[in-house]
Amino acid sequence: MAQHNKATAIACKPFEEDLVLYYYGELGRNERAAVEGHLLVCQSCRLYLKELESILPLTVKPDEPPQAFWDDYSREMRRKLVEASERRSWWQSLALFSRPWAIPASATALVAVLALTLTFGKGFWTSKEVPRDDETFIEILPMAENLEFFENMEVLDTMDLLENMRIPGKGSV
Amino acid sequence: MSSIQFLDFTCDIISPMKEGPPVKSADEELVSLARSGDHKAFEELVERHKQKAYRIAFDFARDREEAKDLSQEAFLRAYTHLGNFDGRSGFYTWFYRILVNVCLDYKRRKQRTSAEEFNEAIEHQVEPSHVSQKPPSPDQQVLAVQLSRKVSAALEALPPKQRTAFILRNNQGLSIKEIAAMMQTAEGTVKVHLHRAVTALRQSLADFA
Repeated sequence: MAQHNKATAIACKPFEEDLVLYYYGELGRNERAAVEGHLLVCQSCRLYLKELESILPLTVKPDEPPQAFWDDYSREMRRKLVEASERRSWWQSLALFSRPWAIPASATALVAVLALTLTFGKGFWTSKEVPRDDETFIEILPMAENLEFFENMEVLDTMDLLENMRIPGKGSV
Repeated sequence: MSSIQFLDFTCDIISPMKEGPPVKSADEELVSLARSGDHKAFEELVERHKQKAYRIAFDFARDREEAKDLSQEAFLRAYTHLGNFDGRSGFYTWFYRILVNVCLDYKRRKQRTSAEEFNEAIEHQVEPSHVSQKPPSPDQQVLAVQLSRKVSAALEALPPKQRTAFILRNNQGLSIKEIAAMMQTAEGTVKVHLHRAVTALRQSLADFA
């Protein structure tokens, strides 16, 4: 048999857990009979059980709210439910995208948009690659500045041509 | 042994766990209505379970306003996650699981913020049921405050699973089987949690025995 401690009663080890369950009425018929048989002969376990009966009720804090509290509770709860319901309907509209058919449909739409963009937007994209007028002008400007040089070159070519024409007959042009 | 009679403060309307299948099936009917968009049906579920839910939350928070907020938060979570309720367990088991989780989350948050603040709240808490019956003497008041603090501290010191098993059995009068279903664990595990919780509380509260 266990010894009784001043601070807390000590139950026999094999019965300790069963005494707790006995207190809560959670033992089967056989176990209950065994515990009751033991309690008849063990003062420590009787003290332990008595201590449970005096301590455990202390942990329950009584609280009986008045009717006004419950009315307020229900009113507040209804308001919160309406708010949650509104939030939920907003989310549900977004949740459409999580439906199984939404993913292939979105992918198809995306491919279609890409195809249309590439087809009809070609001119748009290429026009951006064409040099702007001032850039073209900058490229042409050096050629214009040397126009005289090119004209001179053309005169020389013409003279060469005349010379060649004169050689075969040795006559004047 | 009638030691648990004082713990059983549930009334017929708010104790679906003790009533069994008829209420359960009615609950499920309301759940399916609520899922189809009838929020009045969910309001009916709230009316059925609000007192029991509040009591559980109160056992965790030990404060009236916080218990109200916690139980309402649990109802809202249940409402927004009704789609996750698969009907394998009863609505009440599913809902009280949410509730216990909300309460444990709250305790974790509370522990992180300030334990002192919690004790202050208990100390200054008004208890009309006590006041209205007969005013306690100053000595009794001091003792009650000390006890309340000690109990709160002892309960808070318990690991979450032990605290849950203890509150649901000791304060709510749920059976081990119901607690096991709610905690999604074996009955033997609940018994171990309960025994350890009782052992720890006995040691903490021995002075008040």
